[in-house]
Amino acid sequence: MKIMIQHKRILIPGFIMPAICLLFVLLSAGNAFAANDADISFTTTPTIKSALFKGGSRITYNVDINNPLDTVEAGKITYRVTTERGKFLDEDSVKISVGSKSTKHLEISMPPQETGFFKLMVIINVTDYDDTTLLAFGVDPEKIHSQYAKPADFDQFWANTKAELAKVAPDFKLTYLPDSSRENRKAYLFEFKSLDNLTVRGYMTVPINPNPHHKFAVIFQVPPYQVPLLPMFGSDPDVAIVSVNVRGQGNSRDVIHTTHDDYIFYHIEDRNKYVMRGAIMDCLRTVDFIFTQPELDHSKIMVVGGSMGGFLAIATASLDKRIKICSSQNPILSDVRNMHGEAEWPLNVITRYVATKPGVTLEKVLNNLDYYDTKNFAENVDCTTLIGIGLLDNLVPPNHAYVVYNNLHGDKHMISFPNLGHEVGMPYKVYESRWMHDTFALF
Amino acid sequence: MNIKYVFKYFIAVLIIVLSVVGKSYASGFPTRPGRLIVSPSVSYFFANKEWDSTGVKKSFANDGKFTSVSFNLYAEYGISRRFSAVFLLPYIMNTYAQTGYPKSSVSGLTDMETGIKYYLANINYVDYFSLQATAITPLYNNPNLGYNEEGGELKLSFAGSGAIGSKNFFFNFDEAGRYYFGPGGPFQDRYAGTFGLTLDNNFKNQLSLTASGIYTTSNNKQNFNLLNPYVNKNFSFTQVSLSYGHTFSKRFTVFLTGGQFVIGRNTGAGTSGTVALIYRIGN
Repeated sequence: MKIMIQHKRILIPGFIMPAICLLFVLLSAGNAFAANDADISFTTTPTIKSALFKGGSRITYNVDINNPLDTVEAGKITYRVTTERGKFLDEDSVKISVGSKSTKHLEISMPPQETGFFKLMVIINVTDYDDTTLLAFGVDPEKIHSQYAKPADFDQFWANTKAELAKVAPDFKLTYLPDSSRENRKAYLFEFKSLDNLTVRGYMTVPINPNPHHKFAVIFQVPPYQVPLLPMFGSDPDVAIVSVNVRGQGNSRDVIHTTHDDYIFYHIEDRNKYVMRGAIMDCLRTVDFIFTQPELDHSKIMVVGGSMGGFLAIATASLDKRIKICSSQNPILSDVRNMHGEAEWPLNVITRYVATKPGVTLEKVLNNLDYYDTKNFAENVDCTTLIGIGLLDNLVPPNHAYVVYNNLHGDKHMISFPNLGHEVGMPYKVYESRWMHDTFALF
Repeated sequence: MNIKYVFKYFIAVLIIVLSVVGKSYASGFPTRPGRLIVSPSVSYFFANKEWDSTGVKKSFANDGKFTSVSFNLYAEYGISRRFSAVFLLPYIMNTYAQTGYPKSSVSGLTDMETGIKYYLANINYVDYFSLQATAITPLYNNPNLGYNEEGGELKLSFAGSGAIGSKNFFFNFDEAGRYYFGPGGPFQDRYAGTFGLTLDNNFKNQLSLTASGIYTTSNNKQNFNLLNPYVNKNFSFTQVSLSYGHTFSKRFTVFLTGGQFVIGRNTGAGTSGTVALIYRIGN
């Protein structure tokens, strides 16, 4: 028996998306050849492309089976619906027979579900072929909210933190990097002092423009988890790219230099010392840096990031109203208290860490994380925000991402990818670019 | 042919000129704030045939030949994300020659257009809708150069782009209603549709096909010849034009356009050619 889970979920830094896409194209081409080797194949697609259904309506999918063999293939198709936590909800089967060298189409129609997101397994068992596809669908996702409220002193906590940052003299330094510059862009290394007087570094690339007074819109790239950012280039002549390696990442590891896994719980037992407190302030200080650069248009700043960068993007937009638009993909730490049983990471490593720390309890850590929950930052985001998710994301399950999305009060737009995990597809980046250019009137 | 009769074609010629100017720049797209687009152009129009009031095509009497050369200055300035200012200044030189009669000519500035374009909406930041309100101001007293009436126009435009296989395409549709504030109007329905393809991945070369036209009606049909015999207030035509554009730099593009009238009523049936330069200044 061959069991294949068609949609694997992997943690992918946003900046390697083009390489992943290229790889995907190559692999797809390979699969096309494999299909020609006379293998049975089947596809399952939601009748609503987004796989987001209305409450009270039946959940329907199209199943197409291709039998290139010389034999009639008989057996059954089974569907199984579970909650995000894996609780069984529904299952049914239908007998099928696919003639030799022919195709079969059928529609699976499942009972309506309550508001939320659900896992769907579609299993085919026929004479010479067994396969399983894992899918996800949502029902009325705009009605999803967390039962956990924002701490009463959340805003005060961050106001105090910002006040603390303000007491640190930034001591901005900017260094031209001739060897890293390219024909169309100049590259710079910048550094500054941030919260706790830590030195944080990043890069800025600025298009070369003959007009010395030209001001460039800014893409402010915040980093994924433990991925060092390098100078970022592009062909867009209207946009400067500022990327920061927050403390403990990339070239900002002078003081905090944890192992890859340990970073997420660094000082998590103390909400005033948790690494993300400083990391978020590093982002705000980067905005301060942007405001020191005369060639940058300070009214046109887009903060963008994926995974931990998605979290930092929303936190930055929430705490710094100088951000004009925010693009957040698969933001981690979303609705943390509901993660148990739904998201594999980071609660698994945090739980292990807590077990090694006498006097520290998971409840205490969760209390601290309330001040770092993306959904709580989202409540204070006023700027236009774009969010991208994968419905099969095991780190940011879609119901968690929708809690964040539904907490946003400003203009917002969600792009979801039914068959992706902890990543977004190229259509997101295309939309993001057009949206930014339009918002910044870069027609 | 009586020269007074001939001048009824001038209005149509003017319209051709203006419509060609507009097509070189897809009007549905918004204009970047602070950017000034300047487009000087020169157009040539020739006709030796006409469509009569019933749409029957026939040659001008006495081997008549009608030519028009026009110079136009079109400009658009992005005021804000939503608003841009539009300006058009046309100068026209018309000549009619026929066997046995002296050559007749008229020239001068015609109807200046000043307008405001508003970016209405978009579809996924790919396709754009805009609305433009334009004031028409005659810059002449000679009735042979136009209606010599103030006018106003409201235009809805829709522009977008996409890809067909490896080719990128763009389109622009304009639908406008124009009214001249004089006896009998007229009211004009002005329409244009353009579909173009970029010929290379660098967007340096493009080819586009445009169908455009005017349908003019007047509520003073019975008397318009008596009140103002020089100006035709009831005509229509559709022309098809092919345009090639080459972008030399981010700042400078040239369009070459050839057009042919394909159907009409009460107007000349001619051929046009235009060279338009487009400069982008500022942001």
